[in-house]
Amino acid sequence: MDRRMKLILTIVSLLVFILLLWLAENYMDPFIKRIMNVAAIYVILGVSLNLINGFTGQFSLGHAGFMALGAYASALLYMSPALKATNFFIEPLIWPLSEIQIPFFFALLVGGAIAAVAGFAVGAPCLRVGGDYLAIVTYGFAEIIRVILNNLQNITNGPLGLKGLPTYTNLYWSWGWALFTIFFIKKLVDSSYGRALKSIREDEVAAEAMGVNLFKHKTLAFVIGAFFAGIGGGLLGSLLMTIDPNSFNISLTFQIVMIVLLGGLGSITGSVVMGVSIAFLMEFLRFVESPMTVFGLTIPGISGMRMLIFALILVITVIFFRRGLFGQKEFSWDWIFRSKRRNAE
Amino acid sequence: MSLLKLEHVTKRFGGLTAVSDFNLDLQEGELVGLIGPNGAGKTTIFNLITNTYLVSEGKIILGGKDITGMKTDKITAEGIARTFQNIRLFSELTAFDNVRTACHLRLKSSVLSAVFGLPGYRKEEKEIDDKAMALLKTLGLEKYKNDLAGSLPYGLQRKLEISRALATNPKVLLLDEPAAGMNPEETLALAALILRIRKEFNLTVLLIEHDMSLVMTICERIIVLDHGVTIAHGLPKEIQNNPEVITAYLGTGDLYA
Repeated sequence: MDRRMKLILTIVSLLVFILLLWLAENYMDPFIKRIMNVAAIYVILGVSLNLINGFTGQFSLGHAGFMALGAYASALLYMSPALKATNFFIEPLIWPLSEIQIPFFFALLVGGAIAAVAGFAVGAPCLRVGGDYLAIVTYGFAEIIRVILNNLQNITNGPLGLKGLPTYTNLYWSWGWALFTIFFIKKLVDSSYGRALKSIREDEVAAEAMGVNLFKHKTLAFVIGAFFAGIGGGLLGSLLMTIDPNSFNISLTFQIVMIVLLGGLGSITGSVVMGVSIAFLMEFLRFVESPMTVFGLTIPGISGMRMLIFALILVITVIFFRRGLFGQKEFSWDWIFRSKRRNAE
Repeated sequence: MSLLKLEHVTKRFGGLTAVSDFNLDLQEGELVGLIGPNGAGKTTIFNLITNTYLVSEGKIILGGKDITGMKTDKITAEGIARTFQNIRLFSELTAFDNVRTACHLRLKSSVLSAVFGLPGYRKEEKEIDDKAMALLKTLGLEKYKNDLAGSLPYGLQRKLEISRALATNPKVLLLDEPAAGMNPEETLALAALILRIRKEFNLTVLLIEHDMSLVMTICERIIVLDHGVTIAHGLPKEIQNNPEVITAYLGTGDLYA
């Protein structure tokens, strides 16, 4: 199949997707719409974490920290001064933050940029550690962010969090950013820079001997990954309408890590598919947490049972599909049509 | 003209002196062999030249420029490329991508122009593709372009490592036991290959090798190391008959005398 044909197919499917989004935004039940928004945010987070963990091979557990920065920074910028005043009743918000209000889109960008700066700050010293140690350091970073957010009463409102945020996030925003994230990171990993990132994952010593600047490329992965995590955090804040420091704890990071591992380290397709699947499963598995009767035995509702099912899925994946659902494979038109032809034969 | 110069290079690991007072003056276009028994410090010298290990004492000069303590990737950019004794390819990448990765250090386009596929980047990417393809052809690997490097047979992996090293545009090529694991015929072909690429790419080659037939046929000069000390230095003929070298390799007969 030639390139023009593929381009046409891509454009057509994008248009169909946008039409579906429009239909969903206007006619879909708000409950499903909400899950679709969460799905898009999971896609953003999964794909951006995959850039750091899957493509560059730097096992980071700092994603929740980057998200928190993005969520807080953007919320403080798009909230109206009046809303800020009602939120900060213990200690007033410092000037000039108390007066500023900028449009949602720019607030998101600033949130992403602040997360990206943090990504650089974490990535740069982490150059010296690898493997398990890097995971510990980045986890430590996420915890530091959480503790800081809890204690900066006059900027973050401390443990009270920010409430009553305006819901700007809709399907266009969330899926628009998700598509942009996929486009950006796919183009990046397929470029010369992407090959350099993958070479670091494959063999750091050889990569350096072939002239790959380890410092530059590792921080590059962290900065871009953190930027999109910040955007995802901002979108999530405006969707949930409330953020507090403890909602960005380690279990959030683990949800994203789970998406990446299940989908396959180094597969964007995998992160997208699993991001959407997990968002829907999270909601539809709620029934296991309600009281039920099994073989005449009545089990009271246990909250958190859903996570047990995810744990089970993760264990099964690790045993039977060690490289995740997609390994390092990616979706492509060739792949679709080849498998169709194979089925026809 | 002297291209690569090592002056009084010494490396100590704690109490162990792996390389002591090593001197080398590599002339442009030369092919020099570095031999010695196991553990003599040959690979350590490669690691010192590329600053994988930092020298304890001494200086390394490339084309008049002091490169001692420079970062490994900068040294590669200055024009020193190497292969590894225990093959270090990017196994999960294709042969083509292995070579293309080594072209990355000369890329001028920014990340954003790469992501958005701006004309400047597209042109450079095209140049990289052509160069990588030409290098694969030079080493007869074009058939394996889309195979994962890790899935190639051993001999081809060695060749792929050489083509990857060439992609960095080196002046000096450091080959660490390129004939390891090859049969005599393959070794012969490798000797021809090394001579051919030296001519084609205007290379200066420093070669570590245990296969004496290879070393003696292609090297113009040979340096012999034992326990980190240079014990002999000269033409292949002289080395073959040097009693100290024979002692280092075979030991003395005293035990049974």
